Amino acid sequence: MPHEVIMPALGMAQDSGVLVAWLKAPGDPVKAGDALMEVETDKATMEVEAAHDGYLTDLCATEGEAVPVGNVVAMISETPEGSGTPAPAADDTPAAAAPAADALPEGRQIIMPALGMAQDSALIVGWSVAPGDKVGVDDVLLEVETDKSTMEVPAGHDGYLAAVLAAEGEDVPVGEVIAIISDTKPDAPVQRSRADTPVPAPSDKAETPAKEAPAASASAPPKPSPKPAPIAAAGDRILASPKARFLAAQEGLDLARLVAHGVPQPFHVSDLDTLRALPTDAPGAAAAPAATAAAQRITADLPADAFAAFTAWLADEGVSGDAALASFAAAALRGASGTEGAVAVDRPGSDPVVFAPQPGQPMGALAPADAAPALVLRDLRRTAIRSMALGAEAVPVPSLTTDGDRLCLTLEGRLHPAHAIAMIDAIAARLTDPLRHIL
Amino acid sequence: MREITLSKAVNEAIAEEMRRDPTVFLMGEDVAEAGTPFKVLAGLVDEFGTERVIDTPISEPGFVGMAVGAALTGSRPIVDLMFGDFIFLVMDQLCNQAAKACYMSGGKLNVPMVLRTNLGATRRSAAQHSQSLHALVAHIPGLKVAMPSSAYEAKGLMKTAIRDNNPVVIFEDKLMYQDKAPVPEGEYLIPFGKANIKREGTDITLIGVSSMVQVAEKAADLLAKDGISAEVIDPRTIVPLDEETILASVRKTSRAIVIDEGHQSYGITGEIASRITEKAFYHLDAPVLRMGAMDVPVPFSPALEDLTVPTPEAVADRARAAVRGELFHAA
Repeated sequence: MPHEVIMPALGMAQDSGVLVAWLKAPGDPVKAGDALMEVETDKATMEVEAAHDGYLTDLCATEGEAVPVGNVVAMISETPEGSGTPAPAADDTPAAAAPAADALPEGRQIIMPALGMAQDSALIVGWSVAPGDKVGVDDVLLEVETDKSTMEVPAGHDGYLAAVLAAEGEDVPVGEVIAIISDTKPDAPVQRSRADTPVPAPSDKAETPAKEAPAASASAPPKPSPKPAPIAAAGDRILASPKARFLAAQEGLDLARLVAHGVPQPFHVSDLDTLRALPTDAPGAAAAPAATAAAQRITADLPADAFAAFTAWLADEGVSGDAALASFAAAALRGASGTEGAVAVDRPGSDPVVFAPQPGQPMGALAPADAAPALVLRDLRRTAIRSMALGAEAVPVPSLTTDGDRLCLTLEGRLHPAHAIAMIDAIAARLTDPLRHIL
Repeated sequence: MREITLSKAVNEAIAEEMRRDPTVFLMGEDVAEAGTPFKVLAGLVDEFGTERVIDTPISEPGFVGMAVGAALTGSRPIVDLMFGDFIFLVMDQLCNQAAKACYMSGGKLNVPMVLRTNLGATRRSAAQHSQSLHALVAHIPGLKVAMPSSAYEAKGLMKTAIRDNNPVVIFEDKLMYQDKAPVPEGEYLIPFGKANIKREGTDITLIGVSSMVQVAEKAADLLAKDGISAEVIDPRTIVPLDEETILASVRKTSRAIVIDEGHQSYGITGEIASRITEKAFYHLDAPVLRMGAMDVPVPFSPALEDLTVPTPEAVADRARAAVRGELFHAA
């Protein structure tokens, strides 16, 4: 079966090339890799190689002629005589419909451009235009990735994207037709991938890319996600200066004990003095280090009605009161100590629910998260408990209790005193006037 | 001890070496009759004549190329580049020829040449006459780079540079030419690659060259008022660099700030900070900080220009944050 020889795109912003010279005569045998012709763009003059074995026939461009990119300039046939039906070369006639085997829309064939000198294929990162959509000459049609860089490829023609012949993630040999842009809006735009299609002519050209293609599409990397990696939750890893860590290791000190005692991270050498001064845990008591730690206790008293009205309104809106509590506590913790973290709402008789509110995130959008909490809010409003002194825990634990028409907020845990006061004050302020939180 | 200006110290160093060694000569734009625009070389032509103090045409590539040739054939030229900014004009002569001749001849050729030039902003000289480009030449193997921080340093380093058998680039701060410092009457040399501990301290190490040594010392004064003890180190030459003295200091203080008047990005602050981090990592209690000049062309506006270079106050602020462990959230 004869193969078309087209004017390749040798540069990004190139729409035609001047055929400087034919390097083979009509009827000459050619092998894949032989230089066929010399082409000049506004940037450079290059030799264009044959992609197939056969005979050069049906030349339809003459030396010195400027040929639009993608137009057929000759055929490589199985016989020196050729097909006798060269594809039209005229600029204004869109390239003939695709080879018989496959019914493709009429229009200009868009090939995978050569974006580097020593590049024989490129990975399609993503299509920027949907099949059937209108495209302008300078519109970005797709993004491709070579071993050197990722680049946007402009459409090069005005029209409609009539066919997409290679899918995202596929590695496509340079010169292979990857799309067709038609002059009129296509009735049924084609969309398919190389992997699942016996693509016309060019598919059986260079062997290497063909072999690579299935592997490439199988392990095709997804389009790089613009989302930054989530910040590791505090508690995953203890933050300490290299010297503090080194000295702690040398002296056999456990930095985790500083964490358990609520000392703010990162730890520096000066924190090691605090660590050395901590009472040694009695054997067997390791499971409950908090029991021996001096408890920190702050109690705030506030009216209950505003928050009750607020949660009733939230319930009408389909938002849980727990999401509101978690949002209040997370915002207060952030404001008081700069610590970003998830909040667990713990209620006797049910499993704690963890939320990880982000700054500015609406409460209605909050869903239970799977994260280690930086703070536990214990809701004891439906119990008869009025006060407590349970001692410090691994994270700060504010507890909410009721007393008649008053709410009582008690913090136990180790925070920097200033941070503890600021945080409880902020939670109390939000419970007293919930609309402030929304503002 | 007598006090003389940095300008006078350079003049003395060159005069003494020219008297000692007849192969030493001086060449550059306006070095003879004018004695340079900064008057540093005034009077030398009277003693040594126009054969050894040569005014050249305004052609930096030409006369620096001549100096390389003279050095290759037995002279010891001191070539004067009026502004450090003009170093861009002599990159081939300096970096491709002078720096590589010894290496490429297998040690058969030497280029005992001194290129003396300057650096420093805040002189209202605008973007093309205010740059501090020492990092540019420090990057090229084969060139030594000296950075005098006072009149005493300028004289001792210049004499060592003239006697060195390899190309040396000396950057003087053009704002320090009139600064006086005690300089002994008798001869002395300052060896290359030997840092000077200007002030001992225990809490943080401030490393600076050229005029930034003064900035570091003033910052140390400010810090002392807050009970923070800063050690100030002047490496004197950035190639060769006295890594050992710097590392020993940081191992002691656990913290460091590297201060420079060159642009911060890709400059010597990054190089020195990186060596500290590589070789004293487990002694660090705070991130090593760089404080270079702002990454902008030096502005002509005095108000803006003064903002582009590190000040004692800014250095002291960063040092306090480092010592107090407050850099984590600031970063």
